[in-house]
Amino acid sequence: MSEELKLVFAGSMGAGKTTAIRAISEIAPITTEASNTDHTEFDKEETTVAMDYGEITLATGEKLRLYGTPGQARFGFMWPILAAGALGAIILIDNSRPDPLADLEVYLGAFRPLADAGAAVVGVGRMDRYPQPSLEAYAERLGELDIVVPVMPTDVRRRDDVLEVLEVLLQQIEATCGDGTIGEDTGADRGAPGVVL
Amino acid sequence: MNARIIPPELVAAFDEEIRRLHARVSGVIGCVLATTDGRRVSAVVGNEADPQRVAAMVGSIVALGETIGREVMIGRTQFVAVSAVGGMILLQRVPAKRDLLVVGTLARHNTNLGILLHETGIAAEAAGAVLDEWLGRNGPPS
Repeated sequence: MSEELKLVFAGSMGAGKTTAIRAISEIAPITTEASNTDHTEFDKEETTVAMDYGEITLATGEKLRLYGTPGQARFGFMWPILAAGALGAIILIDNSRPDPLADLEVYLGAFRPLADAGAAVVGVGRMDRYPQPSLEAYAERLGELDIVVPVMPTDVRRRDDVLEVLEVLLQQIEATCGDGTIGEDTGADRGAPGVVL
Repeated sequence: MNARIIPPELVAAFDEEIRRLHARVSGVIGCVLATTDGRRVSAVVGNEADPQRVAAMVGSIVALGETIGREVMIGRTQFVAVSAVGGMILLQRVPAKRDLLVVGTLARHNTNLGILLHETGIAAEAAGAVLDEWLGRNGPPS
């Protein structure tokens, strides 16, 4: 039986979690979008209110189950539900927001066990039009938080960009597994116990 | 529609429908009217539950219920119910020209589910009529 690994996409509303999963999923993604009634938070018509779900199979035959979280803080109750059993997290930050570094703290804090284990990657979006904060500023803030995870510019509309982030995350997870085998460590040590059948 | 700028007369009309629902059904603990994206519009809650948190969960659960309904091809979801040892909660989308609102009714475990469903449906239809009437007078919401 091939292994199935769970990864979580997190980040603020409008950061591109749904778009990222759509970009790489090999199945029609499952989405739970509702009309957005708060255009002050982000000006778009619909917003995810429960979860997104997609799948992608690696060359090794391992299937990745991709879960997207709703971004708004009021849906914070969904974050630990979706993070349960996850081996890693992709944190998407929208650099056009008023305080992207504060967003970084919020979402890394919510997925801190994975971040502490190094099983996370930060993808920063819209850097072409909003170059500040710089990647150096992100690295500095991560240092202040005592978290060591990669930060990279990411355009979630581009499949290759999302796949690159995914690749980096898988390398991170392999490194934290210790024996170079994805899926052997189910994440119990980082407070996100998983089951790999 | 931006819930932050729902006009006071519309909120007042929704408040009235929620109060009526709360008063009509014996055994009701609380009622909430939320946007489909999980924001509180109106609530009467008789226990310690936080209406804003409940509103967010209502939005998520209704979306999940409708999503699984589509996935297993059983047609449009009519309501979502959660039954627990100490009570039940019934969630129903407000039928209106725009799918913007959901009604949730929390009741004690000995409440008749049929009555709860019927009364929640009446409240949902009334809230929908209020919304449609407002939309008719004011045009598409911003």
